[in-house]
Amino acid sequence: MALMLLVFRYFSGFYAQEACHWRQEEGMEEEAKYLNFALVTAKLSDYCVLSNRYELGRQPANTKLSSNKTVRRVRVRGGNVKWRALRLDTGNYSWGSEAVTRKTRILDVVYNASNNELVRTQTLVKGAIVQVDAAPFKQWYLQHYGVEIGRKKKTAAKKEGECAGSLATCEEKNNCANYIYIFYRFTGLKETETTVTEEAKKSNHVQRKLEKRQQDRKIDQHIEEQFGGGRLLAAIASRPGQCGRCDGYILEGKELEFYMKKLQKKKGKGASTA
Amino acid sequence: MAEQTEKAFLKQPKVFLCSKKTGKGKAPGKGGNRYFKSIGLGFKTPREASEGTYIDKKCPFTGNVSIRGRILAGTCHSAKMMRTIIVRRNYLHWVKKYQRYEKRHSNIPAHISPCFRVKEGDHVTIGQCRLVPQTNYQFFMLLDIQNMELTSFCVFCRPLSKTVRFNVLKVIPAGSSGLGKKAFTAM
Repeated sequence: MALMLLVFRYFSGFYAQEACHWRQEEGMEEEAKYLNFALVTAKLSDYCVLSNRYELGRQPANTKLSSNKTVRRVRVRGGNVKWRALRLDTGNYSWGSEAVTRKTRILDVVYNASNNELVRTQTLVKGAIVQVDAAPFKQWYLQHYGVEIGRKKKTAAKKEGECAGSLATCEEKNNCANYIYIFYRFTGLKETETTVTEEAKKSNHVQRKLEKRQQDRKIDQHIEEQFGGGRLLAAIASRPGQCGRCDGYILEGKELEFYMKKLQKKKGKGASTA
Repeated sequence: MAEQTEKAFLKQPKVFLCSKKTGKGKAPGKGGNRYFKSIGLGFKTPREASEGTYIDKKCPFTGNVSIRGRILAGTCHSAKMMRTIIVRRNYLHWVKKYQRYEKRHSNIPAHISPCFRVKEGDHVTIGQCRLVPQTNYQFFMLLDIQNMELTSFCVFCRPLSKTVRFNVLKVIPAGSSGLGKKAFTAM
């Protein structure tokens, strides 16, 4: 029985979509509401008749990525409210390993495991992989660690405070460390000289805090590369058609590698066919 | 990794994979983070569930289902589906007029976690869980009414479901029992 209800619900949604997809674009929500209800109680075929209000389904939101934010209120069963996001462009994204959450612009929908159409039409759904503006996270990182990630590693002089601590305590075996080391050896400058001349007026207390934080500071290489490009890969974890928000988390580690591989495969295919 | 077989990244939602702090030591032997739980009612979590690497959200030990309601037992009738089996329960039904019994059976589909290895004929204990969809998808061809053309992508999938209500909790492998499936063992 429960199975049948599920089926009917899907069917009603299906027919509703087909018959009144034009209504969606006009955005006539009032009429659409009644239309849904009417369709639901109509006879769908010889033997399936949906006679109860709780059996209804509504049209999918198909939240698009767009700069005029549109969120509609929907009254649902029990008098409760759902926020149906129709167009969104920002969300609250969290960087898990650093435990920071920032509101950022969503730039691009990049991958959807269930349907490529949703990528093409830039539809925001839970579980989609998007590209997100990296600026707020960059700013936070700078403020927290005193380090600017994503700067090109051309000259050592530009890397202000890259290693705020001394080389000995810096645990990163990056290009960074080698560069600085070579720079210092070559020019004969002492580390303390460059660090003093750079940043304006960080109080002693703040500097000590920054140095202490340097010890735990680790950054994944893939993420660093993304910061260089100004865009981070993130996954949507909320349901925009239900709560009206498009929040999520920044991909890291194994998950990030997994999706990057998928994206490269797609690009490879596109490049070979084009 | 062998377990990433789907198009989306499979992971246990309660486990955060990228934490900078090294594992506190649930000590599954591999030092990895794994979420598993005990399902109660005296059933032991198999070692494979706590130490393995599979991801199954419908597994009672490492996923998001709870076992409540009925606990039944039967034999595995067929194990050809992915992660689900058909459990056959035999029973005798009393026919009053002839004062005799007749053989009857019922088939129950049950979800089986990758931590169990089942063959046909194994005795199996299953527990009731919430409805768990075992989906095969039917693809719809969408007919665009305005343009009268067939846009043949799959926009809308209606699952052909077996919605399964049971989950395997324990497997008692039948040794090389002579008759196997054919034997009628009334429960």
